[in-house]
Amino acid sequence: MDNQQKLQQAFTVALGVQPDAVTDSLQYNTIPEWDSTAHMILIAELENVFDVMLDTDDIIDMSSVKQAKVILQKYDINFA
Amino acid sequence: MTSTLPKGALHHSTVLITGATGGIGRAVVARCVAQGATVLAAGRDEEALVALCKIAGKSVHPLVYDITNEQAVKDAFRDIQKKVSDGLIPPLYGLVNNAGVMMESPLSVTSMDKLKLQLNVNFLAPYQHMQYAARLMSRLRKGSIVNVVSMVSEQGSAGMSAYAASKAALTGATKSLAKELSPVGIRVNAVAPGFIETPLTDHYEADARKKVLQRAVMQRAGKPEEVADAIVYLLSSQSSYTTGHILPVDGMFTP
Ligand SMILES: NC(=O)c1ccc[n+]([C@@H]2O[C@H](COP(=O)([O-])OP(=O)(O)OC[C@H]3O[C@@H](n4cnc5c(N)ncnc54)[C@H](OP(=O)(O)O)[C@@H]3O)[C@@H](O)[C@H]2O)c1
Repeated sequence: MDNQQKLQQAFTVALGVQPDAVTDSLQYNTIPEWDSTAHMILIAELENVFDVMLDTDDIIDMSSVKQAKVILQKYDINFA
Repeated sequence: MTSTLPKGALHHSTVLITGATGGIGRAVVARCVAQGATVLAAGRDEEALVALCKIAGKSVHPLVYDITNEQAVKDAFRDIQKKVSDGLIPPLYGLVNNAGVMMESPLSVTSMDKLKLQLNVNFLAPYQHMQYAARLMSRLRKGSIVNVVSMVSEQGSAGMSAYAASKAALTGATKSLAKELSPVGIRVNAVAPGFIETPLTDHYEADARKKVLQRAVMQRAGKPEEVADAIVYLLSSQSSYTTGHILPVDGMFTP
């Protein structure tokens, strides 16, 4: 599984949405599934699949799928 | 004194306990081990921690850090995350925010340094621990956090306003996080000890001790094990329908 697939899987597990809903433009708090509770589970999923521990500032900034990729790159997780 | 909880209440669970080498901390470690938990015993005094692990057995792992060092706390949780993902320990299920400092001083002579130290140790550090622990627990939608507050913060005590405020802040966080974390299966409770025989209360002279104990309906000091039993109860599924509760363990004490 490549990093894009891992990211998609983390989002689908945490938010309970279909894989095709996980697009770069998907933003925090714009769909009922991505609320503050799901956000916490999402962070835990991302930390687990990518084996990282995120800084609180990065969690605050993680406002979209696109932003999640930008932040994860700081932890040497690259997306093609 | 033996615990009345059914054996094995914390099997296949990892519990992080701060202030593990202190009076109450040691008792909590022992009680958690007796209930089958894997214990992460956190403290600053490496020698004391190693000695504690020797006595308590293989299921106790030392974690040496100062809880007010934010980076050290982060590193400790990273270490826990790695150990869990490598299958070396069971998932983190419990957190006991037990480390604390108490400095008695009237308002007029309380320095800002004393105030900040107590806020740092008794509130900010436990808060940061809850932030990281909740993240690890939320993956499994299961966890139990127990904060150690005080009857002093519940009722107030002359000459202890800074300590009381720092613990009251933790009480507020306990009740709020119980509501916030319930959807992810995490319960958050606290115990509020009265006067317990530990190094924290060692400095009370016989007279002062007598006066304090007269203010407890049960007319005696509590034992660390009595606090530990309450903590383990709140950690375990024995209290599965209890969250946001502050449980006094105080012999009905009036500070
Ligand atoms: N005893 C009582 O009557 C009573 C009553 C109400 C509430 N409490 C609360 O119960 C908890 C346990 O207290 P206790 O009676 O067992 O006292 P204790 O024996 O003095 O234990 C306190 C523990 O906290 C640790 N600690 C303090 N600052 C720390 C820091 N910056 N980083 C890491 N660890 C730190 C101490 O470690 P070091 O050994 O390295 O200093 C010690 O192990 C505290 O939160 C206290 O406020 C106690």
